[in-house]
Amino acid sequence: MNFGASRPARRPNLTPMIDVVFLLLVFFMLASRFGVDRALDLAIAGQGNGYSGPPRLVDIRPDGVALNGVPTAQPELAAAVGALTESTNDIVVLRARDDAQLQRVIEIMTELRDAGLTRLVLVE
Amino acid sequence: MEFQDPPRRRPPENMLPMINVVFLLLIFFLMSAQLVPPEPFPVEPPEASGGTDAEGPLALYLGPEGEIGYRDQTGEEAALAALLAEREALCGMQDCNSNPIGLQIRADAATPGRALAALLPTLGSKGFTQVELITVEP
Repeated sequence: MNFGASRPARRPNLTPMIDVVFLLLVFFMLASRFGVDRALDLAIAGQGNGYSGPPRLVDIRPDGVALNGVPTAQPELAAAVGALTESTNDIVVLRARDDAQLQRVIEIMTELRDAGLTRLVLVE
Repeated sequence: MEFQDPPRRRPPENMLPMINVVFLLLIFFLMSAQLVPPEPFPVEPPEASGGTDAEGPLALYLGPEGEIGYRDQTGEEAALAALLAEREALCGMQDCNSNPIGLQIRADAATPGRALAALLPTLGSKGFTQVELITVEP
């Protein structure tokens, strides 16, 4: 029998593999979300201790805030609310009025939270 | 006159370095990314400083018009039904009484605050005790 001279081994074609790898790469770049999200805890009414003490109702409007119906300057809000609380566990009720957007509500919530008030309940 | 030899076919360029880089990128994306279910509608979370790291498998979406979505379900009833079904499935795998499942709310910054306030008692009545609002660092 006569075999031909053995040819040198051909290098495998890499192009299909590269195609697949690029496809996977693009898929993961599009389908994934990066970074760790931050989160604020929201209190749900009706849990833990009930409400006690004087009324603490903060009305949040797009252009101002009011404490118990009295318009209050925003920088003084935290101090004014703090004067009505006995401990930082007291509930403070927040109400968004006049279609105040969530960004605005969060802004007030952050200010009160920075002042040490931790139980902020959002109501309608 | 003397001509040069006709140019030979150039040897194929060496592709191995490129493949190495592409594999490196692929592995980077695999490791660093978390795959998430597609969102029912795009939302831009509000900005807030502080807060804690968000964790939890359930995410309820609240759009700029106050619409509610979960996975591919939109509308309050459909979304909440899908959310509760998903929680039931999760509770089948772990003990939800001692370790309740938290819920993330991904709301748009332009959502009326009233819409979120209206949603919270509903969630409380469905038995969610840990609800957190997703924000981004400014």
